[in-house]
Amino acid sequence: MARRGTLLIASLSIAAVAFLATGSLPARAGAINFSRDVRPILSDKCFACHGPEAASRKAGFRLDERESAVGAAESGMTPITPGDPDASELIARITSEDESVRMPPTNSHKSLTPEEIETLRRWIAEGAEWQAHWSFTPPVKHDPPAVAHEHWPRETLDKFILARLEREQLAPAVEADRVTLLRRVTLDLTGLPPTPAEMDDFLADNRPDAYERAVDRLLASPRFGEHMARFWLDAARYGDTHGLHLDNYREMWPYRDWVVRAFNRNLPFNEFIVEQLAGDLLPSPTDEQLIATGFNRCHVSTNEGGVIPEEVYVTAVVDRVETFGTVMLGLTVGCTRCHDHKYDPLTQGDFYSLFAYFNSLDGNEMDGNREDPAPVIRAPLPEQTARLAELDQQIAAAETKLAADWPELDAQQADWERQFVSAVEPENVGGSGSPPEAVAANSKDYLAVSEWHWVGPFSDPERYLKSKKHGPEGAERIDLAEKFKLATGEEVGWVRKPEWVDGQVHNDLPGDPAANFLFRTITVGKPQDLEISLGSDDGIRVYLNNELLLQRDDSRSAAADQEKLVLKLKRGENRLLVKILNFAGQSGFYFAVKTDQPIMPPDVLAAASRHAAERSADDAKLVRQFFRNTAARSAALDQLRTELAAVRKERTDVDTAVATTLIFKEMATPKPSYILNRGEYDQHGAEVTRRTPTMLPPMEAAAPNNRLGLAQWLVSPANPLPARVAVNRFWQQFFGVGLVKTTNDFGAQGEAPSHPELLDWLAVDFMEHGWDVKRLVRELVVSAAYRQTSHVSPELYMRDPENRLLARGARFRLDAEMLRDQALYSSGLLVEKMGGPSVKPPQPAGLWEAVGYSGSNTVKFVADEGHEKVHRRTLYTFIKRTAPPPEMNTFDAPSRESCIVRRERTNTPLQALLLLNDPQYVEAARSLAERTMHEGGDSVEQRARFLFQTATCRQPRVDELSDLVAAYEQELEHFRANAKAAEELIASGSLKADEKLDRPELAAWTMAANVVLNLDEVVTRN
Amino acid sequence: MSASNPIQQYASALTRRHFFGQGAFGLGAAALGSLLPSSIFTPGVALGNSVAAGGMRDLPHFAPTAKRAIYLHMNGGPSQMDLFDYKPKMADMFDVDLPESIRKGQRLTTMTSGQTRFPLAPSKFKFRQYGQQAAWISELLPYTARMADDLAIVKTVWTEAINHDPAVTYICTGNQLPGKASLGSWLSYGLGTMNANLPAFVVMTPSWSSKTDAQAIYNRLWGSGYLPTQHQGVALRSQGDPVLFLSNPPGVDAATRRRTLDRIARFNHRTLAEIGDPETQTRIDQYEMAFRMQTSVPELTNLADEPQHILDMYGPDALKPGTFAASCLLARRLAERDVRFVQIFHRGWDQHGNIAGDLPLQCQDVDQAAWALVQDLKQRGLLQDTLVIWGGEFGRTVYCQGGLTRENYGRDHHPRCFTMWMTGGGVRPGMTYGETDDFSYNIVDKPVHIHDLNATILHALGIDHTRLTFRAQGLDQRLTGVEEHHAVTDLLV
Repeated sequence: MARRGTLLIASLSIAAVAFLATGSLPARAGAINFSRDVRPILSDKCFACHGPEAASRKAGFRLDERESAVGAAESGMTPITPGDPDASELIARITSEDESVRMPPTNSHKSLTPEEIETLRRWIAEGAEWQAHWSFTPPVKHDPPAVAHEHWPRETLDKFILARLEREQLAPAVEADRVTLLRRVTLDLTGLPPTPAEMDDFLADNRPDAYERAVDRLLASPRFGEHMARFWLDAARYGDTHGLHLDNYREMWPYRDWVVRAFNRNLPFNEFIVEQLAGDLLPSPTDEQLIATGFNRCHVSTNEGGVIPEEVYVTAVVDRVETFGTVMLGLTVGCTRCHDHKYDPLTQGDFYSLFAYFNSLDGNEMDGNREDPAPVIRAPLPEQTARLAELDQQIAAAETKLAADWPELDAQQADWERQFVSAVEPENVGGSGSPPEAVAANSKDYLAVSEWHWVGPFSDPERYLKSKKHGPEGAERIDLAEKFKLATGEEVGWVRKPEWVDGQVHNDLPGDPAANFLFRTITVGKPQDLEISLGSDDGIRVYLNNELLLQRDDSRSAAADQEKLVLKLKRGENRLLVKILNFAGQSGFYFAVKTDQPIMPPDVLAAASRHAAERSADDAKLVRQFFRNTAARSAALDQLRTELAAVRKERTDVDTAVATTLIFKEMATPKPSYILNRGEYDQHGAEVTRRTPTMLPPMEAAAPNNRLGLAQWLVSPANPLPARVAVNRFWQQFFGVGLVKTTNDFGAQGEAPSHPELLDWLAVDFMEHGWDVKRLVRELVVSAAYRQTSHVSPELYMRDPENRLLARGARFRLDAEMLRDQALYSSGLLVEKMGGPSVKPPQPAGLWEAVGYSGSNTVKFVADEGHEKVHRRTLYTFIKRTAPPPEMNTFDAPSRESCIVRRERTNTPLQALLLLNDPQYVEAARSLAERTMHEGGDSVEQRARFLFQTATCRQPRVDELSDLVAAYEQELEHFRANAKAAEELIASGSLKADEKLDRPELAAWTMAANVVLNLDEVVTRN
Repeated sequence: MSASNPIQQYASALTRRHFFGQGAFGLGAAALGSLLPSSIFTPGVALGNSVAAGGMRDLPHFAPTAKRAIYLHMNGGPSQMDLFDYKPKMADMFDVDLPESIRKGQRLTTMTSGQTRFPLAPSKFKFRQYGQQAAWISELLPYTARMADDLAIVKTVWTEAINHDPAVTYICTGNQLPGKASLGSWLSYGLGTMNANLPAFVVMTPSWSSKTDAQAIYNRLWGSGYLPTQHQGVALRSQGDPVLFLSNPPGVDAATRRRTLDRIARFNHRTLAEIGDPETQTRIDQYEMAFRMQTSVPELTNLADEPQHILDMYGPDALKPGTFAASCLLARRLAERDVRFVQIFHRGWDQHGNIAGDLPLQCQDVDQAAWALVQDLKQRGLLQDTLVIWGGEFGRTVYCQGGLTRENYGRDHHPRCFTMWMTGGGVRPGMTYGETDDFSYNIVDKPVHIHDLNATILHALGIDHTRLTFRAQGLDQRLTGVEEHHAVTDLLV
């Protein structure tokens, strides 16, 4: 919404209007500089037809390369004759009166101003020198320029700033007062204001390096990482939902926390980049390095019914490439998806060659509407890891106790063991894996049933399956070590199948048509009958001790009770062999024992049948465990078991709650990449291989040609872009505008740097010092340029409205997150828990429902409850990308649907409404009022002073204090007369107001706090 | 506030400081109003024909035929051959396979690309010709039929996108991927606001009646993309505050709020005097506008002054908050207040199945209300400079998705042709534009790409779509993309 009436600009001088029209950088005098003065004109007005893109080039010449421009065009004319503007066709054409020949042509909707024409003329007259585009040549660390006011610079960077100011005949501003300075730097480094105590300490610190000490304290604060992460998360397009169509929940916050940790432990920025681009390809990557690769999974994704997977795949990879281009290279590579770049020397081939590095995710690019579309990694919180370790210890301790000597129980066990005293005769033991000879003679209550073994599939046509014997069928004994040859020549052996539990249908037998064999032993202390139930898909043969008991050849699906049999078991081991015949389709079986007898594993039975003294330690343990688990009677034991079960359950719960996070993992064989004609997913052109753009220095020959090689190439000192791009973003963060204002575009269409030598110096210095972020940030904030007061005279403002020359300190509105964090912090509400799942503080009802798909799991907003969740730092607020929180959106925070490296800073009435009326901010005002009454002293004046100081970080002046006191008193009178209004006001928010405080007083202080929290100086970082 | 206009901001600050004198802050913000044109400070009153605040200096590019627009977006893809695109030959081809010569390998969504047959599903609804122009309109839209001679019906709109999210993002922002500026934000950016007390771009998201899951919409459809965020659409809500955080907190009445604002202004004026940052002046002004919105918005949404015969026009839902009818009535009130662009997103038009059950419900939601809106604008003399647009993000297939009977069927997404209508604001009334083949599958005459449609809307508002640009991501971005597209001037007078 716009504020102003058009009448108001009537008083402007002509000069100011002209200045506005030519852009925001103050004009310069002196010789023509190609990069600064000429290339921007050629790029914007001429390159579209006479630039890098071959397909759209007209008249056979290009103006981005000297050789072509000074040679002959198709017409034979010479576009540019160096030193002679009048012999240059270019000048003739741009100055022609004839619309049909004048350049740029009318249909381009571009035109040259008289100043621009004059610049081109002078440039040609001065010899028409070309320079490579500034950002494509490596940065050089020039010596800092000499300055007249030698006492002013504190850091090397100040010399560059000052030299420029001196050239412009401007003087830097004085240093800001110490109160402003501490608030500025505290907000800039931690996203929160200083406390009054911190302010007092700072003001009382008379040491010459008091400010530097404060900076070091702030850099060491964990809040530093939380604050720095925000900017990166805009660039990385981090969100808590998928962003497209259903916009379901995506569990991705461990990546957000990784970014916070990375800044806090001052991970060198080159490693920061490498780990995010290619952590998975590092040698033995740590979990942290894998979490970092989430950078390339943060893009929006979909699972919309009807979408074409190939199109989704291409869209996802294109997003990765474009984000890579913007964040790492500062180039608009997205333009080359469809055609060669019109302004920069980037080709469509370059684009798809980069595409080839990012196109081989080992997972589906469709998100399945799942929170954890593969590949993902488990990312336990530190407290979860700690709790799991504790629980594992408790479980181990309980298990040890369960297995330890326990006199009362051991006596019980000895009684119980008497039933297993005698030995079984050694028969049928062979090689069949049967238990040892000793089996209890009088263990009549126990059935020892072994687990299943399986061998197969023996393929054969149906009639042979029915008529022939296969594999182990008909053998005297079953030898579990025996191998069988299949028709295919493959050799197979018996395989243990503990997962085939009784009483269920198992439909996982292979082969079609084919036979499979199942085998197990049943050992008993004396002869007995045993009823069993069977099912089969399709036919079945059952052998007991080599005797065929059953044969059916039905075609059917397996189910319970299709066959019932009574096995006549002999004493000792019995061998049960089952053949399942599959005639067509799936194959499976069912098996169950119909008995009330306890079933005991044969190894336990065998061990129990030996005298205690003769058992091995393992056997003793086995028997004791079985006894204590099944037969023992003891209250103490029961209690221990109950406790153990509870601990185990908690372990499962904690383990289940461990988050996963999306990571990047490379396929074993990378997918091929093709040029896509016009950028369309189904229009394959030539296949391309992985390579870096040809306009930049090549990758080292020895480097792996994959994402890791790409990432290492990126941060190699030879690459002219990434360090400049990174340093510029940090500069933007601390000075409001980047040295290159177009943070996302360092190409020909981007804006040239205001201080090119400074940008280069900082970039090289950054690399030389190991990409040390904290060091760079420190350098910026201790500089004299940073410390200047922001006070501005009308003359200076008119001269440099955007403060590109830095003749004053930067002053700008706080970002969305800082506004809310500051309000919560000043009012004492902020919960400074770090990390973990995103939280949903309250927001007006209906915002998600208004847009959400009925079937989405984020269609209905349910606010979190409780101080611990409602009052976290805004970094942790849940971002639903198709309906972002109004506290963010209203203050220019991006929706995180795509990569953003520079936020706008608007100033709108909707922002005023939010800060005045949002229940979260009203609650903050009330809590600040409570603090004021509790901590501010007894007199109204003392309290007003406390309130003002807490919010602004400074002492009120006399008139301010009296205004605030008057405000309080007037509202107090109002609320005394309107007790119900007071009650209503202080009931705002999720926390209850202190009952002991006088209601009208609290309401009056709340309104005073509402005033203070809305002040320009409070919502602004000065 | 646009950071691109610092001089203008500063000039504004200087001018005000000149009025007040450096020390005269005691005047209080309330007094500010009296020094400016009174209309700006009268709640809900438009600035007048010639005055617009903000906007680009070179706009309009030529004389507009519309000052404002109302866009009725039917989200999900209304079935053109059941509503407007009458295909009598289909009646004899029930359950016949769609000829390959018609489909021509056109890509299909994966919801039907696996179907072994593409059986034709003739519309079960009756069509008749209406008005002087003898336009064919289905029995589902009896009110729309009554205004046939007001409408320019375009049967040949087309798009490339075949799924909802990309398609609706495309038609609303000119690109299938998130991140671009929406139509309304372009209008706000380019033309500015005509009402100082209301946003230039207002969005409503009413309820709908079809029974199956409705497709999602997204804040980005009215987002500002790379344009400054003050140009994004402001949701006018039917639940809670009509504009977010419009109401004062419980216990705070208007007088208390006024006192609060005066105090804030006093402090802020001191800050301005001390530091001299024009942003401070802007903030003072924005707080004043916020206060005025607290009056102008409730006055806008309070329908108590609407006479019964007007409510009757809009139908039984006119007073039910959050319905399409209530939204249309509000749209008229917004047009009266010179709000530049109103967009109503009516969801639920995605009939993959059960057209017989759901399509009539959807039509019932919108038919009478859309008619009433047009008639109401007309009788107030507003239609002549208000452009009204009706339509979805794509059309539906003539072949059936799922079970096919004479009585019921479903249709998949169809991008190659669909029907929209426009009226008012310079639109040539009483015409049907473009022709599709006998299957409503391909366009045979006068295709209108969605970029052409958007160019046409801009054209009506006095904008050459190739010249309304914003430099972002290395390009002069525009609503209609980088390829060549044209306003369909045949649709305009």
